[in-house]
Amino acid sequence: MIRRRAAAIGVPRLLLIALGVVLLAFILLNAEYRHNFLTGGGVAEGALIAAIALGVVLTYRGSGVVNFANGAIAMYVAYVYTILRRSGKLFLPPIPNPLKAIEGLVHASGGSKSFTMPNIPVAISFGTTMGFWPALALSLAFCVLLGLGLHFLVFRPLRNAPPLAKVVASVGVLVFLQAIIILRYNTTVQTVRPLPIVHKTQVRLPFIKLAQDQLFVAILVIVFTVLLSMLFRYTRFGLATRAAAENEKGAVVLGFSPDFLAGTNWVLSTVITGLLGILVASVNTTMDPVSLAALIVPALTAALVGSFSSFWRTTLAAFVLGMQVPLVQYISANKSWFPSSNGVFWPGFEYLLPVVVIVLVLFLIGSTLPTRGAISSGRLPFAPSPPAWTIRYGGPALAVFAAICGLFLFSPVYRGALANTLIGIIICLSIVVVTGFVGQISLAQMSFAGISAFVVSKLSFEHGWPFPWPILFGALVALVVGLLVAIPALRVRGVNLAIITFAFAVAIDYVVFGNNSVTGGYNGAPVHVPSWINPNNPGKYHFLGLTAGDGLQPNPMTAIFCLVAVVVLCYLVANLRRSTTGRQMLAMRSNERAAAAAGVNVAGTKLLAFAVSAFVAGIGGGVLAYQAGAVTADPFSYRESLVFFAFAYLGGISTVSGAVVGGFLVEGGLLFTLLEDKFGMSPGMVLVIGGLGLIVAAIQNPEGIAGNIALGGKRLRAWLRGRSTGATDAQPAVAASGPGAA
Amino acid sequence: MELLSTIDMSVTFGGLRAVDAVSFTVEQGQLIGLIGPNGAGKTTFIDGITGFVPTTGSIRFAGQEISRLPAHRRARLGLGRTWQSLELFEDLNIEENLRVAAEPQSARSFLTDLVWPQRSHKGSGVEYAMDVLGIRELALRMPNEVSQGQRKLISAARALAARPQLVCMDEPAAGLDTSESQELGCRLRRIIDAGITIFLVDHDMGLVLNVCDYIYVIEFGATIAQGTPDEIKRDPRVIEAYLGSSAEAAE
Repeated sequence: MIRRRAAAIGVPRLLLIALGVVLLAFILLNAEYRHNFLTGGGVAEGALIAAIALGVVLTYRGSGVVNFANGAIAMYVAYVYTILRRSGKLFLPPIPNPLKAIEGLVHASGGSKSFTMPNIPVAISFGTTMGFWPALALSLAFCVLLGLGLHFLVFRPLRNAPPLAKVVASVGVLVFLQAIIILRYNTTVQTVRPLPIVHKTQVRLPFIKLAQDQLFVAILVIVFTVLLSMLFRYTRFGLATRAAAENEKGAVVLGFSPDFLAGTNWVLSTVITGLLGILVASVNTTMDPVSLAALIVPALTAALVGSFSSFWRTTLAAFVLGMQVPLVQYISANKSWFPSSNGVFWPGFEYLLPVVVIVLVLFLIGSTLPTRGAISSGRLPFAPSPPAWTIRYGGPALAVFAAICGLFLFSPVYRGALANTLIGIIICLSIVVVTGFVGQISLAQMSFAGISAFVVSKLSFEHGWPFPWPILFGALVALVVGLLVAIPALRVRGVNLAIITFAFAVAIDYVVFGNNSVTGGYNGAPVHVPSWINPNNPGKYHFLGLTAGDGLQPNPMTAIFCLVAVVVLCYLVANLRRSTTGRQMLAMRSNERAAAAAGVNVAGTKLLAFAVSAFVAGIGGGVLAYQAGAVTADPFSYRESLVFFAFAYLGGISTVSGAVVGGFLVEGGLLFTLLEDKFGMSPGMVLVIGGLGLIVAAIQNPEGIAGNIALGGKRLRAWLRGRSTGATDAQPAVAASGPGAA
Repeated sequence: MELLSTIDMSVTFGGLRAVDAVSFTVEQGQLIGLIGPNGAGKTTFIDGITGFVPTTGSIRFAGQEISRLPAHRRARLGLGRTWQSLELFEDLNIEENLRVAAEPQSARSFLTDLVWPQRSHKGSGVEYAMDVLGIRELALRMPNEVSQGQRKLISAARALAARPQLVCMDEPAAGLDTSESQELGCRLRRIIDAGITIFLVDHDMGLVLNVCDYIYVIEFGATIAQGTPDEIKRDPRVIEAYLGSSAEAAE
């Protein structure tokens, strides 16, 4: 039986390799395809993907962290270098300025608007421009600091945490780094000066013609691959890192502390990633913060092909993934048999290949991520059953209060913020189901919402479906898509699902949301909204002698419509937690083996959770479509999925009340609208705070804000009863139980 | 009546045969014991029967071939188990731990629960299991708030809450002192009297020899002896392999 199983694992692997070889041979033997596959641009792209992927493999082997932020690290360092060369300035992350709070209070209390307090500097200046070598040296010194910072401040405190917490922290780093760049330099494309050390003259090699600098970065990556392979194979350091991955005591026997090994691997990773980020950005002469950070998807794909351990296989796969880009672009633009959208070029297909490769690798081969020997002693956020009073009194009271605010009290700005908060709650609820109840990470919730939103637009506008049926049907479509994404993840656990959903989110961004015939271009896809909830209808309503609304946009009833959806969904998710199915989900989250022994269908329950989650996200997308009146692609990009994940986690990932808190925190929601309106906080700060908050929550505080409020409430009640000494154990500290806890 | 039987069941890890062509039978209403020295393959044997490691050979349970069924289907057929390492659901309170096992999932209950979740569990296996093992007062506690001995009881209660026909118990007496072990023996007999068959795997010779109706002895994955407790005490191979001079001490 075992031998047969071994053969069964081997056959798909061989088939995959054969398929790859046949495809490559086909491309290389056809002169037209070969010409577009072997290009300088593709090779340079491959070199950058390879560098990011090598960094991912290094940090995984060194510390067991799947680093989703490595693309963002390459991007951040490239920005540091570019800005240094251009203006001689080293830009700083935003530092909170306590003086601004005083300024805000003065403005809020009716003081003079000209009253301002001094700002904290945003950059350190070294002159007007900087030469190549000093800028490179300073950037690499920054890489070392970044690597040390990531190790000591973020991942070392998490070394015994469950894999979920590590992924969450690395997503937080991604959001944080990207947010700083967007805050300082927006998402616009930046030009990068060419490298002074190599030229752009073309070199003619057999089968390929490429620029000197492109050849240079490719050779550099291959040299790094050789060096890293040798480092891990022949040195005591490499041996100790491999030993530590198996069993931390093994490294201690060899005379290395696991901590030192992890830190060193982090620094190596950031330096290699940062260096290649700088060089390839210089070769390409342009960069932007969104697409560069998204290169983590092909990089993770390459690392997966290399089983997160082989540097060679990783580099090889990365080059293929980089070089397919110009080929697929050429084919989709020139071949009539390739899918087109209404007869026009359909962009974005080059982003699909990583998804296909990930699915094939995970589905056919099963889990290839080697598990580490360390025993995880951390815990997942506690997911208590909602107490009866919150369902009977707390929730309804909050809903009535929100309705009164939306109808009678709020000015137009806050009515819009209320609607954003309510939609944020729906998205956070969808994350609570899949991550909070089942412990699986989905980074594609806004993609599901977006698919639903565009379906709603088509049904309501083109097919004339009456409100609210498009929302339900859109959510069903999202559910089906969610199931398709989740099926490959059935054979594997947490981290792999995060990888596959992230790759899916990026692919959907380019293939579906990047297609103008789906999204309707600049104005967005129209939605036929009934006039009583139409946001553009400056409604005034009279009933029971009261007047709701102030005759200004947005329509107060829009927020009420969102509120109804939120109340229904909160009730359903709270009931799910209290139901048999909810208990089975949490049992599975605690311990998959024991759940199976108790008769829980583990695969089926995972699929169900994913389906419910995608459905809830789909409802969120549909509500958003009606609330906005038209659907554009921006709110559904992969970045938004990450940001919502951050706020859901920060609010409290495992409870309905956590989702409600998360909704208050989202971009454009009530809290940040208040901060921007009264305290003059810049809008870009939302994402910085979101990323930072996610990191802090992952390390310090997995219960999130809602969990802490509940804990505080319990302590207060205990204190009121005069038992303050016994209050510390009011909240059970849930110890995760071994490997099954993931 | 024959409830569970294996014919030539084997489990192989790489080149190692952890369980080697074991054939055995459990009659309904009996308390069957399995003993063997450390590493003899006792836990692997339970894993094989309950579907947690791949096996070859035949496993029949309640008249049905189950060797190809996944673990949760075997559990729903009435084949329960406990774990040596207990494996409680640390995120759920004790009552919820038991309810997971007691309440099967169905599409209808999923939908009705979304609208109106059932809170009462009167007459279900939960009450019964709590009473048999005397843990009713722990219902609303979390697993990490109770003692190790109580965790053992909860682990057994969870297996019983599903109202199984047969429970495989993996070393329930590990770490208990003599009096606690005797108390456990009494509780096991009460479970048998309620019509649930028990397959007991343990180190504790005193417990196994005192409470079991029939005993199998395995070593290096293969059966070396079987019989009633009296026969086992006298079997020369068992004395050599496992009991040694302690056989006299047990009497």
